[in-house]
Amino acid sequence: MKKLVESSGVEVAFKEVDVVTTGTFGAMCSSGAIINIGHSDPPIKIEKAWINDVPICHPGAAVDLYIGATATSETQSFEYGGGHVIEDLVSGKEVELRATAYGTDCYPRTRIKTNLTKDDLNQFYLLNFRNCYQRYACAVNSRDETIYTYMGKLLPRFRNATFSGAGELNPLMNDPDYETIGVGTRIFLGGAQGYVIGEGTQHDPQNLNGTLMVRGNAKKMSPEFLHGATFTRYGTTMYVGIGIPIPILNEGLAKKTAIRDEEIFTNIIDYGVPRRDRPKLGKISYKELKSGAITIDGKKVRVSSLSSLKTAKKIAGTLKSWIEEGMFYLTTPVERLPLDSVFKLMRQTEETSFIANVVHAAVTCKENEPIQAIAERIVKQSVNHIVVIDDAGKLSGIVTSWDITRAMAEGRKALADVVTRRVITAKIDEPLETASKRMAQHNISALPVINSERKVLGIVTSEDVAKILGR
Amino acid sequence: MVRILLRFSENIVEQPITAEIILALKVPINIIAAHVNSKGGEVLAEVPDAALEKVVTAYREKGATVSLPKLIEVDSEKCFSCGACVALCPVEAITLADDNSIVFNKEKCIGSTCGACVEACPARAIKSVKQGNSELANDLNPKK
Repeated sequence: MKKLVESSGVEVAFKEVDVVTTGTFGAMCSSGAIINIGHSDPPIKIEKAWINDVPICHPGAAVDLYIGATATSETQSFEYGGGHVIEDLVSGKEVELRATAYGTDCYPRTRIKTNLTKDDLNQFYLLNFRNCYQRYACAVNSRDETIYTYMGKLLPRFRNATFSGAGELNPLMNDPDYETIGVGTRIFLGGAQGYVIGEGTQHDPQNLNGTLMVRGNAKKMSPEFLHGATFTRYGTTMYVGIGIPIPILNEGLAKKTAIRDEEIFTNIIDYGVPRRDRPKLGKISYKELKSGAITIDGKKVRVSSLSSLKTAKKIAGTLKSWIEEGMFYLTTPVERLPLDSVFKLMRQTEETSFIANVVHAAVTCKENEPIQAIAERIVKQSVNHIVVIDDAGKLSGIVTSWDITRAMAEGRKALADVVTRRVITAKIDEPLETASKRMAQHNISALPVINSERKVLGIVTSEDVAKILGR
Repeated sequence: MVRILLRFSENIVEQPITAEIILALKVPINIIAAHVNSKGGEVLAEVPDAALEKVVTAYREKGATVSLPKLIEVDSEKCFSCGACVALCPVEAITLADDNSIVFNKEKCIGSTCGACVEACPARAIKSVKQGNSELANDLNPKK
């Protein structure tokens, strides 16, 4: 379609093309499966359940369970989770169910342990409440350390970038006004036929961040298009394959489905900043993202996709052949998806503490001061940390009362012998929570607070954190 | 050229062992990757096939451990070609083909001295593995 519109124009393309198939295959965390396991004898009203040690949600009556893709194993941690359980079931593997209950007159049983395959389940439906993001951010990291996120491993100081999404192949990008995709639209889901059952959570079509809620019979799906996955130090998820046919009902749809990667832009976001509103560092097209390298501040940065374009293409191709062979019939939506929904921020009724709330003036010294003078300052000001600054007020090191005690004991005179140069710091707009975590990680008890020019704004100690967070 | 992995303990890491071997044997030794600090070091080096035996012997005489580097293996059954590993590879040993498949170039991979891709693979399809050439591996084993 894209090439045809380019070479022959929208009018010809509209006449020649009946359906455009689309596809995407990426990590979709808000996915899961609803299963009904039948009644045991004596029966049990399950209160808590695990499959292969992954905690399973029990939202309904006695034996209906929901396997959430991001639930992680209690024994294998992030290496195995709900997504893997679903993949194992889809593959025909046997899984172990354990469940406990409080026991009632009608459901007397309090424990059960049994092995199950998909054939033993009454219903096994994929029920994903947010899938198929229209586009997603490009992630980078400004910090001095590697971070591990749902956007993968992000190297320090912008040394790599990651992105997700199929760009011009994404279903919602090809029907951005939801003319053909609505409630009841039949789709390719995980290798079988499924349906759109509504807009996905956080659906934000006005900002080109639309999402879908989908359902499909997982018993008929294939592990090729449904994969459990692990993001190191983040958790587990599931890769889901979705393909949607778009009937070319008018010239407008012919034009819309001709969209190219160079017309689809997304933001480059700094995931190194642990806030909701992470800094936007610029815009980038999917064409550039797919090229393998992007430019940030004039520097070349290599970029990786987290979703599989190869599988996305395969999905669009498979859907096309299903339609051609009469195995898949297109449907008219029974209800349109909302076009005006807004993705609201959380209403927070409890105050969150940031560094700015607890920062206080740091007791400082200059590099050339004698140890004796610093020792006196520690006693007089009753502090444990002295921040070493240069003439411009910029951070050059830190010394603790322990360092000074040691220097006195060993008869050292120069501060340079005991100062710590690689100082772990905090930023003024950082949440207290992340600063506290950093202190624990490095086994230290204070963080100098600095600005982007490394000028010392103050200090935060573990005592300040304990007062607020109670730890 | 053959790649060998050299390990230096804390006791010998400050000695100019590689320089001494190059000078003594007059053999070109190419350092591919190195992680060295005061606690010890791990160096991936390339030596000419013909000189392999005497280079290995020379390193062992000076107290270094010599082994074949562990490489990375991609399990094509598990890999679903997302590409998360591609930009993380410092030597561009992993690339994307035109059809968006993952292509792994063993010649370029620096193996266990790096391993950047292993933990970044969502499918857990990448593993560190010993080089397949078992004959060579036996040759390099210290004589008991």
